[in-house]
Amino acid sequence: MEFQELDRDGHVVLAPHGRLNLVSAPPLRARIGDLIADGRTRIVVDLGAVESVDSSGLGALIGCLKAAREHGGDLRIAAAGEQVRAVLRLTNLDRILAPYDSAEEAGREW
Amino acid sequence: MSGDERYVLEGFAVPEELGRVHDLLGRVSADHPEVDPTDLMLFETAVMEIAGNVVEHGLPPGEVRWRLAVRVTGEQIEADLRDTGHEFSADFGKPMPGVDAESGRGLPLASAVLDQLELARVDEGNHWRLARHLRP
Repeated sequence: MEFQELDRDGHVVLAPHGRLNLVSAPPLRARIGDLIADGRTRIVVDLGAVESVDSSGLGALIGCLKAAREHGGDLRIAAAGEQVRAVLRLTNLDRILAPYDSAEEAGREW
Repeated sequence: MSGDERYVLEGFAVPEELGRVHDLLGRVSADHPEVDPTDLMLFETAVMEIAGNVVEHGLPPGEVRWRLAVRVTGEQIEADLRDTGHEFSADFGKPMPGVDAESGRGLPLASAVLDQLELARVDEGNHWRLARHLRP
């Protein structure tokens, strides 16, 4: 999966597109891992162009969220579509990964 | 599965084929505007989880073949997935893992959105049956 990356003041926005699944989740996870290792621990994942996510994609997001928090940062998700919201709800992950309406809003206080 | 199987896919259960599974379900959706899009979306979510499970855990890796057939009846949307992998034992009663877990959500997620999820060992292969009732 290719994803856009925007370096904002204080945080980084990553925008994957298509399906976030067992094929595309590992490269996204690796890139976020590199960013965190470089001290860029405030991450926004803009899901506006992601049409669906599976359990592999969820696992990657949780892994990255934990890594970011362990390094003093956080991971926020934004612009989740209907399928992503449904899956977050069904897996109870909306409790720790509540989507922001937009990437701008997610990064506003960073 | 009896009746007309208008949507069938055969091939190797490898990551590159997941896109074809998605495309097949896209055709089902396009041909059935009468079906609630939410039902289709949740059913597709379950099918992609089971297909992903076969791709990820099917043995021997890269050698498992599958045949997926999808059918829409008046009452439900159903999928019949047969794979040639080693016997797979699935615990469909497993609860959804805690929020910190990085894996283990696939089967609980599929179970949560289906009315029927079964796995049987038939003719040296695994036979998965998935169905979601269509709400009137």
